[in-house]
Amino acid sequence: MAKTYQVTIRNSGQTIDCAANQTILQAAVAAGIDYPYACATGNCATCISRLEDGKVSLLPYGDACLNKAQIASGLTLPCRARPRSDVTVNWLARSGG
Amino acid sequence: MAQVHSITSDEGINPSTLHAIKLKLVALAKRKELFPAADFAMPVAQGRNYPLLVEDGDGLGLYLNVALPDKEAAPHDHGIWCATAAVSGREKHEFYRRTDDGKEPGSASVMKVGEVLVQPGHGMVMADHDIHATTVVGDKPMVSLSLYGYALARFPSVAWYHPQFQSVRTTASRRPAA
Repeated sequence: MAKTYQVTIRNSGQTIDCAANQTILQAAVAAGIDYPYACATGNCATCISRLEDGKVSLLPYGDACLNKAQIASGLTLPCRARPRSDVTVNWLARSGG
Repeated sequence: MAQVHSITSDEGINPSTLHAIKLKLVALAKRKELFPAADFAMPVAQGRNYPLLVEDGDGLGLYLNVALPDKEAAPHDHGIWCATAAVSGREKHEFYRRTDDGKEPGSASVMKVGEVLVQPGHGMVMADHDIHATTVVGDKPMVSLSLYGYALARFPSVAWYHPQFQSVRTTASRRPAA
């Protein structure tokens, strides 16, 4: 059974469980959180979010959606990100960051 | 591009002309000498595309795509026809049909209705509003040619379907305002 981490969604103020083999977006949608997304497969960047705390690993995604500078500045794609520790994320869409 | 226009000029876009376009694209993709790997860098992440020929106005867009193993795209309808042919590598294309009535915003269900493996010597074609999902399979990068009825920069809204969420979400249209 996959290890489970705690994911805090800053925008909604909720903390949810997310399995290590689950993406943050999958866990958020399953928990009923209205996380902004479109492709959910790393092709559009609608879900791009600030990784405020913690570590993730990323499933394959497109170059145009997330570059090295963005990763270095703390951005991530929750549709591709699987937790490797407890994490806190804050989506950029709708809220303006 | 001229050959594609000659195919569509009389009959427009229909299953027959789309098939003819696919055959043209497959023949072009077989000419590997035209697409040397040195001219098209591997993705920094797992997928990128290079414009090859993009027409003005509402013209066609031809791209070379490079995607690494496991790169995927959820079922989506990009609103405009396209054809794809492999230069190297393999990519699975799964085709879907929407099965709900579309009356509940944000909700949708889709059913898989077919699948093709695009590999060298083969291609696939889809009509406006067909729904497909893609996954690069095997351990080699997928290098392919994709021809769209519009350039990517002028794409209509793309509808993304998520069977696991029973949802549909869209990205904004890039079409000029009417």
